[in-house]
Amino acid sequence: MQLNPSEISDLIKKKIEGFDLGAEAHTEGTVVSVTDGIVRIHGLSEAMQGEMLEFPGNTYGMALNLERDSVGAVVLGSYQHISEGDTVKCTGKILEVPVGEALLGRVVDALGKPIDGKGAIETKETSPIEKIAPGVIARQSVSQPVQLGLKSIDAMIPVGRGQRELIIGDRQTGKTAIAVDAIINQKGTGIKCIYVAIGQKRSSIANVVRKLEEHGAMEHTIIVSASASESAALQFIAPYTGCAMGEFFRDRGEDALIIYDDLTKQAWAYRQVSLLLRRPPGREAYPGDVFYLHSRLLERASRINADEVEKLTGGKVKGKTGSLTALPIIETQGGDVSAFVPTNVISITDGQIFLESNLFNSGIRPAVNAGLSVSRVGGAAQTKIIKKLGGGIRLDLAQYRELAAFAQFASDLDESTRKQIERGQRVTELMKQNQYSPMSVAQMAVSLFAANQGFLDAVEVNKVLAFESALQLYMKTEHAALMDKINATGDWNGEIEQGLQTAIETFVKTHSW
Amino acid sequence: MSELATLARPYAAAVFKRAKETGSSEKWSKALAFLVSILSDSSLSAFINNPKVSNERLSELMLSISEGQIDTEGANFLKLLVQNRRLNLVPHIAKIFEEYKAEDEGYLDVDVYAAYDFSKEGRKVFSAKLEKRLGKKVNMNVTVDKSLIGGVLVRAGDKVIDGSVKGQLQHMQKALQ
Repeated sequence: MQLNPSEISDLIKKKIEGFDLGAEAHTEGTVVSVTDGIVRIHGLSEAMQGEMLEFPGNTYGMALNLERDSVGAVVLGSYQHISEGDTVKCTGKILEVPVGEALLGRVVDALGKPIDGKGAIETKETSPIEKIAPGVIARQSVSQPVQLGLKSIDAMIPVGRGQRELIIGDRQTGKTAIAVDAIINQKGTGIKCIYVAIGQKRSSIANVVRKLEEHGAMEHTIIVSASASESAALQFIAPYTGCAMGEFFRDRGEDALIIYDDLTKQAWAYRQVSLLLRRPPGREAYPGDVFYLHSRLLERASRINADEVEKLTGGKVKGKTGSLTALPIIETQGGDVSAFVPTNVISITDGQIFLESNLFNSGIRPAVNAGLSVSRVGGAAQTKIIKKLGGGIRLDLAQYRELAAFAQFASDLDESTRKQIERGQRVTELMKQNQYSPMSVAQMAVSLFAANQGFLDAVEVNKVLAFESALQLYMKTEHAALMDKINATGDWNGEIEQGLQTAIETFVKTHSW
Repeated sequence: MSELATLARPYAAAVFKRAKETGSSEKWSKALAFLVSILSDSSLSAFINNPKVSNERLSELMLSISEGQIDTEGANFLKLLVQNRRLNLVPHIAKIFEEYKAEDEGYLDVDVYAAYDFSKEGRKVFSAKLEKRLGKKVNMNVTVDKSLIGGVLVRAGDKVIDGSVKGQLQHMQKALQ
């Protein structure tokens, strides 16, 4: 791109015009010690909790411990150039990050600065990273669905707009895969997505970005990255940064989906910062406020009513509710959900998607454990047709789990037990789904309907997925109108039931798989 | 530094309370200033920090040096500091004591750095303006600092009012980045 010289001088002129020549008043302090990114500062008697502090060399820090004669602060970024005796200034501002539409499609760090090499981000607004969650009066209950595009989740553990649904499981169980599929499925729905990567390898973050670009999902997505190589302070604030960016959409009457990948690492980073600040350690050496760390973050994911949106936008947006849906991710060690951080986050969220490594290894992917996974509020938001058809699936799987232990005695079992086991095996098989291939409501409805009506019972277990894909192809080519109708309304009625029944009957008679 | 200030505060508060009771804050102020000046001597500070020197010998020495400069109460205070091995705190105690004294008397010690010295008139006008801004009587201590290029820089405790050309240039540098 050719730079126009007049543009540059104009820009400078504008900046000089806007330059405030008034005497600048601030509070100053002196650095007493620097240890592992924690700075003790003498003075700064007027510093606020969480205030941004200015260090020499264009470096900023955040005041965390306010003591009688000193302030304990974390440096946001590198601290090698800060030494004893340096002057520190108060800025009078709580830490703020840029927010707005311009961030969509970009990769930013925990302070909202672009790191994708695509140039500056033209945002007009900034927002403090720590905000109080909306009050009781401002809220509305969850009633619209967020389709994650995964059969097993949308049918059994539905997520609504404004809900907090935990994704929990050991390493290598496909937690991030669910999150990425969820983002890809939001293409064209108007839901803006924010993916916050905390303490991950840079290569994994690059992979996620590339996959989202490949599937055209970056246009509606912001990636906030605080990789493992960045300071603990940045890893600890990254979720709040992402949340502030999501709240911007929520407060304007839009819907947003935020994924925190993962909060275990954020708790580790916070533990590090707290211990270095000499706060007393508690259980598993976490500080006393690690519950509040997560509860205040997840409480900000909410659905707010139209009145509140109108108030927040100054009357510009009327009659629209806003929502921020959160999918926090927690990594467990050896399936232990009773460790400190997992129990905390389980109790804060509105349900959890529990992933198991033995399911994953036996080829059931997504490796959702249908028995332990719940959604406490999503049922109210589920699409009618999925709600109607998904109930049967849940029941089939529950009965199957009880009887699965007897499966090896199949020949000695009575007729009804054997049928239940066979149904369960087929439904389990049907719940498998490939990565990066989210399904629409209509596609899910077809698969679930086929299972409910017993069309699968005649299919061999290892042919179930082949049957499904052939059926989906048939429905797409021969019954496009019916599918469009289901996708448009999501309603369930006799006409649709009849349509599906006859379509699948014809398919079974005329096609092979 | 901050830890020392925390340690010095109870001593300073106690001295200040006593000084107010007896109405002898000026005397205490002088005594503390004297102690600060003798403690800044390097051979004496080496002696103080030597663990081989017993408390008795140290207090004897300190008392003999300050004979005639401090009264009985001052001597008692000195003995207490020696006993607690807190002689290093004296400069901080003096500083906090002066802060308490200034606050009690309703004025504020202000360091003013200016590129050029004030005229008599200018000084009066400036101190009146500062008094209005800070809401307290000010005790101006003017230093000429050519590196400021122009304007003034005011320091009152932690608070800094930067109206110097140098400060504004730095400010502008950041704004143009």
